Amino acid sequence: MKILVIAETKDNALRRVSVEIAAKAASFGEVVVAAVKGQRYSPIAHATAVAEKAKAEGADLVLVGATLNGRDLAARTAAKLGWAYAGDCTDLTVNDRTAEAQRPMYAGKVRATVKVPLPAVISVRPGAWTLPAGAAAPSVSEIEPAAEDARLRFDRFEATASGGKRVSLAEARAVVSAGRGLKGPENWKLVEELADALGAATGASRAVTDAGWRPNEEQVGQTGKTVTPDLYVALGISGAIQHLAGMTSSKVIVAVNKDPDADIFKIADYGVVGDLFEFVPAFTEAVKKVKGSG
Amino acid sequence: MRFLVCLKQVPDSTVRVKVGGDGRSIATDGVTWSISPYDEYAIELALERKDADPSTVVSVVAVGPARSRDALRQALAMGCDDATLVTAPEDLGGLDVAKALAAVVKEMKPDVVLCGKQASDDDLGLVGPALAEALGWPHVGMLTKAGVSTAADGLELWREVEGGHEVWKATPPIVGLVHKSEKEPRYPSLPGIMKAKKKEIPEKSLSALGITGASPRLEIIAMEPPPQRGGGKIWRLDGDAQGVAEQVAKALHEEAKVI
Repeated sequence: MKILVIAETKDNALRRVSVEIAAKAASFGEVVVAAVKGQRYSPIAHATAVAEKAKAEGADLVLVGATLNGRDLAARTAAKLGWAYAGDCTDLTVNDRTAEAQRPMYAGKVRATVKVPLPAVISVRPGAWTLPAGAAAPSVSEIEPAAEDARLRFDRFEATASGGKRVSLAEARAVVSAGRGLKGPENWKLVEELADALGAATGASRAVTDAGWRPNEEQVGQTGKTVTPDLYVALGISGAIQHLAGMTSSKVIVAVNKDPDADIFKIADYGVVGDLFEFVPAFTEAVKKVKGSG
Repeated sequence: MRFLVCLKQVPDSTVRVKVGGDGRSIATDGVTWSISPYDEYAIELALERKDADPSTVVSVVAVGPARSRDALRQALAMGCDDATLVTAPEDLGGLDVAKALAAVVKEMKPDVVLCGKQASDDDLGLVGPALAEALGWPHVGMLTKAGVSTAADGLELWREVEGGHEVWKATPPIVGLVHKSEKEPRYPSLPGIMKAKKKEIPEKSLSALGITGASPRLEIIAMEPPPQRGGGKIWRLDGDAQGVAEQVAKALHEEAKVI
């Protein structure tokens, strides 16, 4: 069994998900880890290069982190190779000629086990495989991207106001999200202070992004991002089924809401019924204290 | 400019999903069917181009069982010009769906093909990139805005990435995989609904398009609901925010070990 792991970098460092996958893939067979050179993802140039690498290596399986670009790359590469594709998987077992993958469907309302004929391309959700303590970063060979298609040209990057200062939402090990209960964008600093104390990414309910308080890219839930952090803190979020779909697989959920009957409490591990404007500043201080004491 | 929007009919995102008796599909009795939400955004994006330039033609196509006709009818009522149904079994693999769509694209010759970035039932995200690959066209994923470029060189496509948007210039033909539209998808107007009722929706078979359904695909062998959560510990503030905050932080540190 030969596995090609396509690594992704961010700010010249390997993404955590790539290290997670490379570490786990070693239990399936012989692993080659490669990354496509260059900073900007471009579907044709990258998928062509990865497909050629997969053929050259005689790979049975190509594994890619299920990031935004990773999922796009994995799907186009599978189509290019004419191989089976399983996207956004949360676990995988590999036999001789087939693999079995776990993957969420219906926005996380169902967990499916699927049989994947090999050869195949599979994208794996960040955090699906816990990184063993002391796992070394894999050695990564570089692949040259293939030629760009002249019909599509990168023009410019338009940063959002919050501009990537924080950890990426999809890969963050902690997320602090806020909903309508926050009352207005002027109160966002409460969310940021808590997120800073926790080392967390910030997210928002659809009500908040639709109202324009926060950029769309922070929306958690169906039609937004699916997150699976170790800790998810929901502030003033009632818990519409579409929001729950995006975060219900988080390891530990903390919910703060004024309404004791809010649906979010049905899935919370720790719930606080009360005014978030009273609780959050005190909680931020308490978190700092606990973290400070180690 | 001609747009073709590919859509899939899926269980409405507000319905609770239950696993069926066979343990590997969902129970469909009593399910409300809708256009997959990302496909609805794709329709909205295309119709906004038509609002700006009435000479724009927006066609829709679905590959799926006969009930998909209702989703196509809904798209017509929203303002799309024509609709085509490719009748196919529900479980046709994504690569074959893409090949069927590619055959339709070759007949209809649109400038821009839009798909939702993934269908909200299987959440796979294969069909769009595979369609672009089958056509040999470039594609842009995570599309949130499609405008006409001022430089008269085609389309300006905005895609959401971490920390902002990448703006790409495209010379059609191109495939766009839609993440969201700026405005919410429009509701059908009453005249739109009346007009849509009268429109013919031609039907094509997979065999007529040369699709054998033999491409490698996933086979679902089991489905289960996600593990039940709940039974969590609940505090009431009752004026003691600091006390409760300290207890929650302590629980996260000592019990849950996440901070």
